[in-house]
Amino acid sequence: MSAPVLAVTDLTVTLNRPGGAPRLLLDRVSLDLGKGEVLGLVGESGSGKSLFCRTLVRLLPSRNMQIENGRIMLGEQDLAQASETGMLSVRGGRIGMIFQNPTSHLDPVMSIGNQLSEGLRYHQKLDAPAARRQAIAILRQVGFPDPERQFDAYPHEFSGGMRQRAMIGVALSCNPEILIADEPTTALDVTIQAQILQLLMDIRRERGLSIILITHDLGIVAQTCDRIAVMREGRLIEQGRKRELLRSPDHFYTKTLIGSHPSMPSPAMEKKALTSPPDFRATRDKPLLKVEDVDVCFAGAGSLLGKQSGSVRAVAGASLEIMAGEIVGIVGESGSGKSTLARAILGLTPITSGNVTFDGTSLRGDPGAFLAKLRRETAMVFQDPYNALNPRMTVGEMLAEVLKVQGRIPQVDIPARVGELLDLVELGREFAERRPRSMSGGQCQRAGIARALAVNPRLIIADESTAALDVTIQAQILDLFRTLKEKMQLTLLFIAHDLAIVRNLCDRVVVMNRGQIVEQGTSLQVFEDPTDSYTQALIRAIPDIDPDKSLLPLADREMA
Amino acid sequence: MHRYKFVLYRPIQFLPVLFGISIVTFVLVRLIPGDPARVLLGTRATPTAIANIRSQYGLDEPMWLQYFYFVKNLFHGEMGKSILYKIDVLKLILTRIEPTLVLVLTSVTLSVLIAVFMAALAARNHGRFADHAVRVVSTAGIGFPPFWLGLMLIILFSVNLDLLPVSGYGRTLGDKVAHLILPSLTIALSLSTVLTRSLRAAMVEGLRSDIATAARARGMPERVVFWRHVFPNSMVPTINLLAINIGWLIGGTVVIESVFAIPGIGQLLVRAIFSRDYMVVQGVAMVLACATVLINLIADIVTVAADPRVKL
Amino acid sequence: MIGATILLVFVLAALLAPYISPYDPVTQNTDLRLQGPSWAHLFGTDNFGRDVFSRVIWGLRVDLQIAILGVVFPFIIGTLVGTVAGFFGGLVDAILMRLIDVILAFPFLVLVLSIIAILGPGLTSFYIAMALVGWVSYARLIRAQVLVLKNSDYAVAAVSLGFSRARIMFRHLLPNAVAGSVVFSMSDAVIVLLNGAAISYLGLGVQPPIAEWGIMVAEGQPFITTAWWITLFPGLSIVVLAFGFSLFGDALGDVLGVKE
Repeated sequence: MSAPVLAVTDLTVTLNRPGGAPRLLLDRVSLDLGKGEVLGLVGESGSGKSLFCRTLVRLLPSRNMQIENGRIMLGEQDLAQASETGMLSVRGGRIGMIFQNPTSHLDPVMSIGNQLSEGLRYHQKLDAPAARRQAIAILRQVGFPDPERQFDAYPHEFSGGMRQRAMIGVALSCNPEILIADEPTTALDVTIQAQILQLLMDIRRERGLSIILITHDLGIVAQTCDRIAVMREGRLIEQGRKRELLRSPDHFYTKTLIGSHPSMPSPAMEKKALTSPPDFRATRDKPLLKVEDVDVCFAGAGSLLGKQSGSVRAVAGASLEIMAGEIVGIVGESGSGKSTLARAILGLTPITSGNVTFDGTSLRGDPGAFLAKLRRETAMVFQDPYNALNPRMTVGEMLAEVLKVQGRIPQVDIPARVGELLDLVELGREFAERRPRSMSGGQCQRAGIARALAVNPRLIIADESTAALDVTIQAQILDLFRTLKEKMQLTLLFIAHDLAIVRNLCDRVVVMNRGQIVEQGTSLQVFEDPTDSYTQALIRAIPDIDPDKSLLPLADREMA
Repeated sequence: MHRYKFVLYRPIQFLPVLFGISIVTFVLVRLIPGDPARVLLGTRATPTAIANIRSQYGLDEPMWLQYFYFVKNLFHGEMGKSILYKIDVLKLILTRIEPTLVLVLTSVTLSVLIAVFMAALAARNHGRFADHAVRVVSTAGIGFPPFWLGLMLIILFSVNLDLLPVSGYGRTLGDKVAHLILPSLTIALSLSTVLTRSLRAAMVEGLRSDIATAARARGMPERVVFWRHVFPNSMVPTINLLAINIGWLIGGTVVIESVFAIPGIGQLLVRAIFSRDYMVVQGVAMVLACATVLINLIADIVTVAADPRVKL
Repeated sequence: MIGATILLVFVLAALLAPYISPYDPVTQNTDLRLQGPSWAHLFGTDNFGRDVFSRVIWGLRVDLQIAILGVVFPFIIGTLVGTVAGFFGGLVDAILMRLIDVILAFPFLVLVLSIIAILGPGLTSFYIAMALVGWVSYARLIRAQVLVLKNSDYAVAAVSLGFSRARIMFRHLLPNAVAGSVVFSMSDAVIVLLNGAAISYLGLGVQPPIAEWGIMVAEGQPFITTAWWITLFPGLSIVVLAFGFSLFGDALGDVLGVKE
């Protein structure tokens, strides 16, 4: 490795609240970035990894935060001491940034091309026609198929993946030496994620860019980076070359992170691999839930004139069976219809055609009895833990209400039962008095699970229930699901876009694409030997934490 | 340009609303107790006039037929005769429309200019003195009764400084402009408080938004970040707010015309209410309602032009 | 905090008007015509020799009543209509929304004035007109909120747990939806106050000799060149009361976590 392009020493940032003790946000962080190097900066939310990168270009999110100490050497210049006007040419011109959410970071009322031209004209002093030519060239480079025409299009006309390409283009338009990519693929589907990572690697190669890649996903780091730095609570706790760090991490937290990464085969999984999966079909003659040829159509934006002009078929001819005691996963990318199918099964979205049978009672047979049975014996757990709880009720009130409505236990026993439910989801009993606003995401999710358990359900449908959580919290919630399943003989239908989670948790997997079920089978079958081409592509796109299981053809060309 | 196609079919969507407007105004007048012919013509009407209006509006016929005649007359551009002025209401309104129209246009323009200036001043100095000052002034300003504010402006500019005429409307162009300055300013100041509050909030949020962060991260100076990115984005909700407040603005015009004795539609309405000239009340209400619908269409067009995401 | 203080002081002053006003608000005294502010007459006297300060205090009773009653009726009607429309949707919703479109097509004050024209001038007509027209904003606000909340995960959860429609509507949706309307009602009180005063100013609301701020401004208008105090003080009182409502509304919005 040649001399570093960026050398950070002892960078310390504090938050000075008026009338409060200053709080340390970044604590003596020292980090070098070599020329052409890709550095992975890993940590969970609140670890300070995003703040660190914002500090490099002196864009602190609040006026109350300030650099207390340390140097940020970009070549000969110390950015920690640079003037505000001096920073204008550094930002974009020497250090470019791309962000997690391209939708909110691109200006919605300015055309994509003009946003690129802005950087070209400002940093490279090009005139309008030259900027346009150059912008079109960059758009082509980042993968726009028809850049001349797409120059004048607006961000909302593109998909999430294309927007992220546009944002990379905007960063490139300033022609930086260093690119900071802050969770650039977190908001994207896994197949698109692979494409964007590929694009970043291509650009690195073509332009000799140095990249700092911020991510919470060790798999991405393993697939793309040369070096890894791990942050936690404002401190850099460990850094080193990728393979060494992944093979033998020093810090216990790094070990936890690696351990909770979902692509690692869990002990449970290994056990399952040894003893062949229990054959539920043999032990029980009838499935608990049977979905037959279900269609769900949504009326398109029908106008007064043209009725039913564009009705969307969200789920098309879906059939599946779930045995009692099974954990079944439904996977698919956004828009695949997996959530719609779940809601249709629970009778929350009307079914256009087909039939659902739950424990012998069917929708087509006796809809009233079917729904009544569903409401008493099934429950749902949602994705966004905050949105899933009524903000004006305490956890205790919420649970008591469910118990009261279900009316299975006498009024006097309700407080005791609320306590038991909190114990079950491993929340302290004092949480009965808390409201969602004062709880963390993981705690809210536990409360949501407690609400589901209050029904004493036979079937729980969990819709992306861990997607909004940090990896370590995610692992805890998954453990909770496993424990509960054993303790209460639950049947679990688990919906997720994250294949690794499904692989670890579920006995059987159902893969959906564009409203259709394209493949189903045991987890082992589907993940080790997928037959459908879409499933194959989907599985290939998961970034594995093992750098030798290569995701990208070019990723292995790291510098020795 | 297919995004603007709605301008062609939107009027069709307006039909139910226009139908509703005609029903409401029709019902309004029929709700007055007493003989409708006498209500419409006043107590001193001649028997022939009463007979005429009975046949023209079919006042002896059932309600739905009366409504039919009412609409039929509307299509012929007839809204009935004013008791006071003895001419058709529509013609009467047309002779009075100029000052009102000019007043509305100038006050909208003026209020947007004031609001943009004040909000930009506040947002770019967020948390500092200018910001607090603008916030207090715009919050307090919402409570200024326009009619009273107008009088205070008269005291200041006309009585103490003797710069502008106290009231009325001129004949020549220069004279008209001089007469319209104070009333326009009154309405503009009232309206700008609401706009300033919302625009300031949108701009403050805009300066904290991801869009602004991304622009700063590519080295754009604060001036460019603000005027090129934050300002256009914050104008989108403000156009909407302006459209919502159009009804309020027209209501304000009615009062202000009375304060400054401007011979517009508003003054006509107030006088008509006093003299029980119900045909005029009905006509003015209908015309102003249709004007509001039209202005909302214009606001839609401006929104579509300002925000490429909007599809109507 | 300041807003709450202003409102509290004004409410107290309105209740105690008979005790704290130094003179009778309607008794005329031609010897004291058009006197400027002094210690005997803090806000001066008007062209009938009535004490402006006492008239401002008695006027507060009327204007406070206008702001409160002019909001309460529309709030109740609008909340009910909006909840029903948003929750049940379908034909009921479609019809109510068309009705709202039609009412909104009329400039607010113009429709209120037209209704007053038919019912005859007076405060009762004003309240009736407000109830007929003012509910529309509340209905729209609540309906929009209910539509959003109806699709929130916790509402879906409530359905999946077998809660009754009434329970979901009144226990889960309405308490969360109504917060925005409560905050809005404070800024609406300002608008109603201004409209009520404007209508009285035009001579179509409160009738003389009753003291009310709008009508006091109108009565002072012929004398603005010589006796500015007759118009200045009632107008300022409206400004301060309105400011109280606005600040209180803002504070309420912060407490309830509502964004305008």
